[in-house]
Amino acid sequence: MEFLSALSPLFFLLIVFGVLVGIIFGSIPGMTATMAVAVCLPLTYALDLTNGLALLLGLYVGGITGGLVPAVLLKIPGTPSSITTTFDGYPMAQRGEGERALKIGIVASLFGGVFSAIILFLFAPILSDFAIKFSYIEKFLIIFLALTVIASLSGNMLMGIFSGVLGVWLSLIGTYSITDGGNGELRLMFDFMVPYLESGFSLLPVLIGLFGLGTVFIEAEQGVKKEVSSQSLRMSDQVRFSMSVFRGKLVNLLRSSSIGTFVGMLPGIGGSAASVLAYTQEKNFSRDPSQMGKGAPQGLVASESANNSLTGGALIPLLSLGIPGDSTTAILIGAFTLQGIQVGPLFIGDNLDTWYTMVFALLVANFVMFAIMFFAIKHIAKVVAVPKYILYPVIIMMCVVGAYAINYGIMFDVWTLFIFGVFGYVAHKVGIEIPPLIIGFILGSSAEIYFVKSLESYGNFMIFFTKSPIAVFLWVLIFMSIAFSIYLNIKSRRKRSDEVETQT
Amino acid sequence: MSFFDITIPFDQSHLFFPRIITWLLCGLFVLVVIQNARPIISKYRSGGMTELLDLEGFHKFKFFGTVALVVVYFIMMDVVGGWFPNMGFGFLFVSMPFICLMGLMYVHEITRRTLTTIVIVSLASPLLAWFVLARLFHITLP
Amino acid sequence: MKKTILALSVAIAGTGAFNTAMAEEEAPIDGNLRIVIGSTSTGGDTYQNSEIVAQQLSDKLDMNVKVDAVGATEAFKALERSPDGNTMMIFHDMAYLGHLYGVRGYENVFEEFNVGPSIAINPGNAYLVAKDSPYETLDDIKEAVADGERVRVSIQPGGVSEIGFSALKNAIRIEHPGAEENLVAVNSGSQSDKNQQMFDGLADVINGSVQANEQFTRLPEDDQKAMRFVWLTARQDTIEQTLEEGMGETTREELLEFTEPNVTVTQDGEKNFTFDKEFFFIYNEDMDQEIVDYMDEALAEIYDEGEIQKTQKQSFFIPNFKPSDESEEYLQEKMNEYEEIINSID
Repeated sequence: MEFLSALSPLFFLLIVFGVLVGIIFGSIPGMTATMAVAVCLPLTYALDLTNGLALLLGLYVGGITGGLVPAVLLKIPGTPSSITTTFDGYPMAQRGEGERALKIGIVASLFGGVFSAIILFLFAPILSDFAIKFSYIEKFLIIFLALTVIASLSGNMLMGIFSGVLGVWLSLIGTYSITDGGNGELRLMFDFMVPYLESGFSLLPVLIGLFGLGTVFIEAEQGVKKEVSSQSLRMSDQVRFSMSVFRGKLVNLLRSSSIGTFVGMLPGIGGSAASVLAYTQEKNFSRDPSQMGKGAPQGLVASESANNSLTGGALIPLLSLGIPGDSTTAILIGAFTLQGIQVGPLFIGDNLDTWYTMVFALLVANFVMFAIMFFAIKHIAKVVAVPKYILYPVIIMMCVVGAYAINYGIMFDVWTLFIFGVFGYVAHKVGIEIPPLIIGFILGSSAEIYFVKSLESYGNFMIFFTKSPIAVFLWVLIFMSIAFSIYLNIKSRRKRSDEVETQT
Repeated sequence: MSFFDITIPFDQSHLFFPRIITWLLCGLFVLVVIQNARPIISKYRSGGMTELLDLEGFHKFKFFGTVALVVVYFIMMDVVGGWFPNMGFGFLFVSMPFICLMGLMYVHEITRRTLTTIVIVSLASPLLAWFVLARLFHITLP
Repeated sequence: MKKTILALSVAIAGTGAFNTAMAEEEAPIDGNLRIVIGSTSTGGDTYQNSEIVAQQLSDKLDMNVKVDAVGATEAFKALERSPDGNTMMIFHDMAYLGHLYGVRGYENVFEEFNVGPSIAINPGNAYLVAKDSPYETLDDIKEAVADGERVRVSIQPGGVSEIGFSALKNAIRIEHPGAEENLVAVNSGSQSDKNQQMFDGLADVINGSVQANEQFTRLPEDDQKAMRFVWLTARQDTIEQTLEEGMGETTREELLEFTEPNVTVTQDGEKNFTFDKEFFFIYNEDMDQEIVDYMDEALAEIYDEGEIQKTQKQSFFIPNFKPSDESEEYLQEKMNEYEEIINSID
């Protein structure tokens, strides 16, 4: 515990500052943890390594958690990894349980964050050796597994799968990116679209376009009704938050946090897959998944514990291979290099003090996040009481900022927001389901890379089944996931027809 | 060469996966149409497009007003931003009237109180966002 | 060393965050300066380099300078729209290599744009093999290829990562005509993908960098992740300018064992091929000459002061300032040489 003596009050102050700024960034639709870390990176030039890391890790944890707020209160995922949080969080907020939902969310987040920090501390080198056993094949299978969630998330299974495939299709528009190993050629577009769509649609503008602007259009069509918000505030006294909601959810917490940590440490899979996977697995394995998607705390717990456990997970390959697990940790590499510290397989052994400090900072950041959020929630939750004629224009403005800033200043991203806002409205009208679509969109491009690269490398379709025991295990999970969703679908259909019979 | 063997030439590899997905999508589309054809037709027969797309109570003014405002907002932001390169003024100066107009369009009764709120919010919130993000954090805005 | 870091950090921080002063009256650029870069990563070398220069420029020109990681396609587009000098680009050799390799979206930068001053070199471009590989040196690889063995090299196609591969192929063509067919590229993306291809046994040689791979070379041989450098493409005198302690535990002297003349790849039978990854400014074609001179002057002053060099070396970059004219001529020449190599192996 020698490293503790080297810590100053500044260290803790910076964590608090970082978490606070991170939460604010995460709460703004389109502003991400990555962006928070990127814009604050220059501030660390003036700090030494320990304090610089305190700030950056604070931002990271705060940013990931902050995504929960708009997801629950406005149904707009603040960061892509909080997409599954909207499924149950928003229905709860609509029932007037916004405050409760947020509290459940931060408790789950805290659990996930601390869990992953501990895993990071105890098993980083072993796990990174395990992670490199995941080649293109296994990574594709993980994504495929996450895609099977589409079947179980949809209201109408056929329509859901159609929507999901449409999402994948939309994500393929643009170039087959060279930086991912593609050949840089265009596809799926006409010549006149090339100047705009060369780089394809970006995830965040699509996400906030569908969820943010799309909702505003739908509301506008119905004349922006007035009373809803004040009603829900009155109801908020009915169901109060208590820790008892976590009773019987330990398995869920552990499972989701493990999934989050594990997916976080696989470079190239992307954080959103973690919460999606955790959410599906909860749906498949829990005793009563019937309420999920309608405001069940268990869905919230799965989603939030998974996305916060990404933080520790993504640091595993960074610190034990020198390879960032996600876009935020990629920026941390820059911070290390500026301080003259090199990351790679020998980092932990060479820099024991820094290593302890990082894990410690990560833990502290999680508790700070919890403390700040716990007291802020009561006030944050009042957002739903803001009248819509104020709320909507301001949301659109913030969406614009987020869309424009996500790729550091590209006007087409703002138009993407509009295009997908309109698309979201039309989709609502014709019955295309948005959650499967967005999951398809998020996972589509990595599915392509890993699928095509697998076949390029091995030249045989059978390799997906025969590559390794891990691949076989993943296939088992995939089949189980599909079987479960078919089973659930049949069950709910039978239940529905039963209800119809009893009614008549 | 067994049945499962495949070679993907690198210069054509960008088309391999999109082709699969496009076919899959078309197939699913046909299935969706088959599954839904009957309810769609019967709904259309009974109430035309209004019934089919659930357009009852369609607020033309608010809906098209919103769409038009958003389009004008995005266009003007870029134009005004072009006058002051890289200052974020396009965002700042165009957001203010946008929030104000949209607020006025959505509000149900214009009283002195709601009017003041709208005006204050439309001036203060873009300024705050611009100051914090563009000024303090140096984020590029239009 | 600690002291220099501290001094630098203070200097940098002072100029950074809250600079609201307006530009001097005679300054030819109004408003803020935006530097777009050809990479979308804010953790990579392009961003770091640009950030170092941007901080210094912001101080020198007394204006806000912001680096935006928009990526090559978008950066070129932004540049085209901005003849007034408010948007500039910083990128590396990929800017013209992309054109030579026929990558979509890369025009000839010397024709469509103006090439500005160069600022730094990243000397770390490297090729590695697994530690238990049968190939000990680059010569082993060349011999094996000459003997008809298939050797797979993992690269990211169309740029900096491919040029060394092309040169090696060209060298084999010169020394053992016809055998170059046995040296094949495995196309992949990020560094982690390339490493992974080596772990999976899909590649025998990978492109990498001193910065990212040095620690892997220090792992014991029985570790499946262990690697060994076989070739650094940088010129000998570029590596000689790095700090003596080199990178990690690998000293400058050790690094020099992997550059020419210790490891040679011939370019035309006489001259050795070398490749330094150089970072330089790219301007809009119609940007005023006045601004070009203004930037040259500002950068010259910055480099004269000598602070920036320390920061760059600290981050394993080699300071390499050349004013616009010199830089354009030099890079044009460099491009012509590489064009020949690429054409000869087609």
